Amino acid sequence: MVVRSGKAKLLVVLLSFVVVAGLLAGGAAEPEVEPDRVVPEEFDWRQFEGETVVFNFPAHAAYNAVAPLIPEFEELTGINVETDQMAYMRLHDAQLLEMSQPRGDYDLIAMVVMWKTEYADGGLIQPLEPFFEQRHLAMPDYDFDDLVDPYVENTGMVGGDKIYLGGEGATLYGIPLGAETSFLAYRKDLFDEHGIDVPETYDDVVEVARYFAEEVDGVYGLAMRGASGHQATHAWLLHASPFGATVFDENWEPAFTSPESIETLEFMKKMVEYGPPGTASFDQDGQFNAFLQGDTAMYIDASVITGPIRNPEQSAIEGKVGYALHPRARTNLSQTGGFGIAIPSNASNPEAAFLLMQWLTSPEVERRAVLDGAGPVRHSTVNDPELQEKFPEFKVLAEQLNYANPDWRPIIPEWGEINEMLGIAINQVLTGDKTPEQAMQDVEQPIRDVMERAGYYD
Amino acid sequence: MATTLRKTVTPGLFILPALACILLILIFPVLSGVRLSFFEYAMRDFATGDDPVFIGLDNFRILFGSANFRASIRVTLVFVSGVVVFELLLGLILALLMEGGIKGLRLFRTLFILPIMIAPVVVGLIWRFMYHPSFGILNYFLARLGLDPIPWLHSTEWALRSVIIADVWQWTPFVFLILLAGLQGVPKDLIEAGIVDGCSYLQNLFFVKLPAIASIIAVAAILRLIDAFRSLVVIYVMTYGGPGVSTEVMSLHLYKTAFMAQRLGRASAIAVILLAILLLFSSVLVVRTLRTERK
Repeated sequence: MVVRSGKAKLLVVLLSFVVVAGLLAGGAAEPEVEPDRVVPEEFDWRQFEGETVVFNFPAHAAYNAVAPLIPEFEELTGINVETDQMAYMRLHDAQLLEMSQPRGDYDLIAMVVMWKTEYADGGLIQPLEPFFEQRHLAMPDYDFDDLVDPYVENTGMVGGDKIYLGGEGATLYGIPLGAETSFLAYRKDLFDEHGIDVPETYDDVVEVARYFAEEVDGVYGLAMRGASGHQATHAWLLHASPFGATVFDENWEPAFTSPESIETLEFMKKMVEYGPPGTASFDQDGQFNAFLQGDTAMYIDASVITGPIRNPEQSAIEGKVGYALHPRARTNLSQTGGFGIAIPSNASNPEAAFLLMQWLTSPEVERRAVLDGAGPVRHSTVNDPELQEKFPEFKVLAEQLNYANPDWRPIIPEWGEINEMLGIAINQVLTGDKTPEQAMQDVEQPIRDVMERAGYYD
Repeated sequence: MATTLRKTVTPGLFILPALACILLILIFPVLSGVRLSFFEYAMRDFATGDDPVFIGLDNFRILFGSANFRASIRVTLVFVSGVVVFELLLGLILALLMEGGIKGLRLFRTLFILPIMIAPVVVGLIWRFMYHPSFGILNYFLARLGLDPIPWLHSTEWALRSVIIADVWQWTPFVFLILLAGLQGVPKDLIEAGIVDGCSYLQNLFFVKLPAIASIIAVAAILRLIDAFRSLVVIYVMTYGGPGVSTEVMSLHLYKTAFMAQRLGRASAIAVILLAILLLFSSVLVVRTLRTERK
């Protein structure tokens, strides 16, 4: 019932968009009579000259890298781009408030992938296929298929095999920019010094972490997140994926009390024990700092850390880091996450925003952004021999992307609430307040209640 | 007859605009919040145009069935009572030390006001850094003194205490300033009369000064009580409610319910419960103060 009305809304939004597009196209046709216009077959970058696009994005390596390039887009298109940059945890509130109004301020937004289903399901962002299908809007040489598949599926697809996945019936809502997978980063210098092999399995990770924590003064094992809520859930999901644990089974019944999940939690407990003090309170900043300041020998998490590692202002370990595949437990499956860009349904200038969207994620801009600290989202970039030479992690990334798992986190509209509930329970395990079994059992019924009320068991 | 009417109606007419304003900006939002607490409403329903669904007392039933919500009530009560008691005690001691007008009182007063003027987000960050297990200055000093490090923010045992310490640091000066002004306003002859009658310092304090400023102490307590019940930012920045839910006060639980879980109706229900608790505590204080003043 709710879904149907959501779809009806979407239809209305789409229809109204078609009408608006028609009006805009009519308005834009006028200057084409000017004699010095480009030939019609060629892509017209200046078709939305004079329009303003407001772009809302986070303080994040990929966006910090593309932001300085935006004036070139303005010069190319005559479109005026206003940027609104904020801390990433603040984006959600700001975007929801803007997108809930009849006419919002934002024309292009960067969203954490876990918000996409909520936004798309609520009709807050627009499907992108209608844009790509219009020849005058689709930029030539964009090469959509070059975008890393698991990233596109994870960032942009809604309504496929599962509501948050691609597959039959899925609709594209976002394009990856600042998307990431996970891998292992380790202190090459310390590993060499102590004659340690790079860990390939989770058992190896435990052994190496124990060694550093117990044998080496001032160095601990693994930099891991653990703070109550989203951060702890993220860490659990990250390790649960290779251990084979999931939040729900195929029937949406809670599955986090499974032996695999308990095994994941036992592993995390060990990492707190062998980790730097305060691991159980680390958010992503705390985790980054622990590794970047040389407190830990290993880091397994988002690949976005490579930017900060190379930044001498943030890093004490520049040039001392090696990279390897996400260690294997039952599988090598790594996370997919980070950010994608989308166009709000109530955008004032959606077509101009679409041009900016393509330009920002085009092969050429991506290549330049990567040189300035952004993570790659295109196969061509990751596999570029020249870039692989410059960035040693690209070879690892190219292989890791084969194992990137778009289904490592159930991004259903209720995820925001469940994410917090689960994260509190996981944190209680890490601080030693509850045993893994106890914590997971305590949160099973409350989470099932949320799912039941949302109608998953009808 | 006409004059009595004028006497009763005219003042009423003059108050009317102010009353209308208060109704509009104070009472109406409160009432609509109370109304919303009986509904299920997600923020994205704004955009889709879906109407709130009436669910009766379900929000309250779910809340009181939730271990995390019950924990947040307990955390709030411990936090508020800890904060108010320590701030009043410390503030009073400081005010008594300074009421005689010690040398450099002005300088001290200015220094003391500084914490109040710092933005809460910054206070949260400063304390988070000071409490940091590896880089924090507090554990550094503990280590220099040969003591074990304290897990300030990352143990369930310590986190709430640490949060209380930070709040006491920031708001004791406020209480101190109010009480200092109160003490300086106590008529000199009262105190001198006490001295002439042979009162000791403590007798003078407990039987003359404190009764004289009782209502001012109550005002300071009410203000801090209300503020402490609603405090969110410092805790949000320092611990985000963790570890577990050990520092998740009701206002933070409310924030998470509204913005993370997207349940505006249930968040309103939390606000209603918070308001009820707040009214209960502050009305007790207000009534008691009024009663003592009437005496």
